[in-house]
Amino acid sequence: MKVIVTPAAANQSISLTINDRPETVTVPPRTTLAEILRDHLDLTATHLGCEQGVCGACTVMVDGRPTRACLTFAASCEGATVETLEGFKDDDLMDRLKAAFHRNHALQCGFCTPGVLATARDLVERLDTADEVRIRNELSGNLCRCTGYVGIVESIAQVIDERRGLGLPSTGAPRVAREATTGFAPFDADIAERPPAPAVSSGTMTVEDGWSVVKREVALNHSADAVWAHFSDLDAVAECLPGAKLTDHDASTFTGHIGVAFGPITAKFEGEGTYRTDDSSRVGTVAGRGKDRGGQSAVEGELSYTVRLAQGDPDASLVDVGFRFRIQGMLGQFNRPELVNGFVDYILAEFVANCDAVLSGGEVRESKGISAFAMIRAVIGGKLRALFRRT
Amino acid sequence: MKPVPFTHEIPKSLQLADKALTGDNSKVMAGGQSIGPMLNLRLVRPTTIVSIDQLDELQTVHIKGDVLSIGAAVTHAQIEDGIDDVDLPTMLRHVARSIAYRAVRNKGTIGGSLAHADPAADWVSAMTALGAQLVIRNAHGKSRREPMAGFMRGAYRTALQQGDIIVAVELPTAMGKALWGYEKICRKVGEFADAIGAVVIQPDLKYARIVVGATEDAPLLLDDMAREMARTATAPSLDEIDGALAAHLPGASRVKRQLLKTALSRAIAKVIPS
Ligand SMILES: Cc1cc2nc3c(=O)[nH]c(=O)nc-3n(C[C@H](O)[C@H](O)[C@H](O)COP(=O)(O)OP(=O)(O)OC[C@H]3O[C@@H](n4cnc5c(N)ncnc54)[C@H](O)[C@@H]3O)c2cc1C
Ligand code: FES
Ligand code: FES
Repeated sequence: MKVIVTPAAANQSISLTINDRPETVTVPPRTTLAEILRDHLDLTATHLGCEQGVCGACTVMVDGRPTRACLTFAASCEGATVETLEGFKDDDLMDRLKAAFHRNHALQCGFCTPGVLATARDLVERLDTADEVRIRNELSGNLCRCTGYVGIVESIAQVIDERRGLGLPSTGAPRVAREATTGFAPFDADIAERPPAPAVSSGTMTVEDGWSVVKREVALNHSADAVWAHFSDLDAVAECLPGAKLTDHDASTFTGHIGVAFGPITAKFEGEGTYRTDDSSRVGTVAGRGKDRGGQSAVEGELSYTVRLAQGDPDASLVDVGFRFRIQGMLGQFNRPELVNGFVDYILAEFVANCDAVLSGGEVRESKGISAFAMIRAVIGGKLRALFRRT
Repeated sequence: MKPVPFTHEIPKSLQLADKALTGDNSKVMAGGQSIGPMLNLRLVRPTTIVSIDQLDELQTVHIKGDVLSIGAAVTHAQIEDGIDDVDLPTMLRHVARSIAYRAVRNKGTIGGSLAHADPAADWVSAMTALGAQLVIRNAHGKSRREPMAGFMRGAYRTALQQGDIIVAVELPTAMGKALWGYEKICRKVGEFADAIGAVVIQPDLKYARIVVGATEDAPLLLDDMAREMARTATAPSLDEIDGALAAHLPGASRVKRQLLKTALSRAIAKVIPS
């Protein structure tokens, strides 16, 4: 069978075997196996929940192994043998599982069922004996909102027993038991000295009503007058902020964008804001909001800074930086204290180095982009964890 | 969400992979179990994806002399099940099976996990504890070795440069006889860790290492504690562990510290039973 999908320059033709039938689909490379099945071959038993590998609804057999169809891209499917719930024809174990699910009320709405059955099929084949704890642990990658798993676990256990009754051996590798330790004889370990870890920054990071609030004290080796002159000039501040660009501003409002482009993540927040400076108290505030078009996130925040004299050194000053922000949308999981700390410190370090350079008559260092590695962690880790938590 | 459009190349050799990776915005993909979600969330927007998980060179596991070498594209599930007739340290098989879920383990690779450098990921801490070396191939086809300790610079930050490919992970074969403890605390089986404690003692190699993982940063090495533990063959007290954590992680919340302390003390108890 040949299915032709809207031709586009980058389309690829992928040949694979699905439920014992050879298929060829012509799809863009970004197409996932789940989409190939659902949108191009009308095999809609394979469900999509999270599209992040967490919920298990899309689990199908690829070359005999349960695989997340939402994380498998078209080109990787070339030559693959895929079995979906529509298949499994004359599959004794699957037939037994379906009967057991029926018997044990192992499904209600059925949304999780195709993925659960793929996992169950694998477990029945792999597990030597029906061990409830093991079955439950192995099922942790398939979320079911309805059943509470009781019937599912029971069904899998029953079919494992049936398989054993038929004299069919399990295919799984036996688990190696670890030997108990009896301790060891004392010895002098050979451990090379490592350079000390970088200093931990001073300051706090808290989350208040969904806003991240960061406070830092930054020291600059320039007089408070010079620093204030620099900090009260929005152009100068923006120039020192890695990734930031002002497109326009008047005495109190501005438009611009800030790019976060590091590691694999890219986000570009475009927006507008207001700013205020007070020469007598040397306090500045910048407030703004922006949207990341590509990533569909929004950020709003307020930055305030107070320039103070450093005690005992006229050529040095301290800046109290306060930053209050919240991010919504895809990048919204950014509000995790430990991660934000690392991220903010990185930006601040770049910013301070730039300010230092400019105040010393030099140029802004070429920014390699903000190290958003901290952010990736925040986003992916947080996003996944948020999903786990909700379950 | 659909990822942004990209071209997907599956080169037949490492040389061709080097070439495919020269593009500015090209990304390696191994199992796709970490980069996949990021593509779907559009956090990663590459123009080219270069798949390397089918390359034979990256799938071999062998022992040469006293070094065990595990190809970067070997999957977690392969390590969980044990590979052919190569004797893998039990610690590896134990760690592998606590990673994610079987469907994810069937695709996710050890090299991908180390390259991704999620602080809460299991291999990052386990391989640091075992004193592994990474064999890394650069864009010009030259190889170098980097110890795991120090390879990870911070959350999602490693010593890898654009075009670099992790080829293999190497361990002294003697690590198969090491005493070890690996404890991962998470709320749900298969989830990323909230806390990791890992201990490896191999007296024959005069080797002792204590690692604290899932700190939101690179794995933390408690060398002084490891030295003392080897010298006395007694476990540090909970207060000593807490003190060390407080000194190294002043920003950590009390809850985090308690979790880390619990994971580490459990790992130590596996090596020095009380
Ligand atoms: C639901 C879910 C739960 C998970 N739970 C856990 C867990 O509990 N513990 C855990 O440790 N992990 C967990 N993971 C992550 C999983 O183990 C991944 O498989 C692994 O971290 C990444 O491996 P990969 O081969 O899939 O890499 P990919 O996703 O293909 O790549 C990850 C990154 O590494 C780069 N890369 C990959 N291979 C190489 C290489 N050889 N050389 C250089 N760069 C390379 C890629 O460019 C990319 O940036 C989980 C994942 C999911 C989806
Ligand atoms: S949709 Fe694939 S795991 Fe949730
Ligand atoms: S039966 Fe409804 S989600 Fe499982």
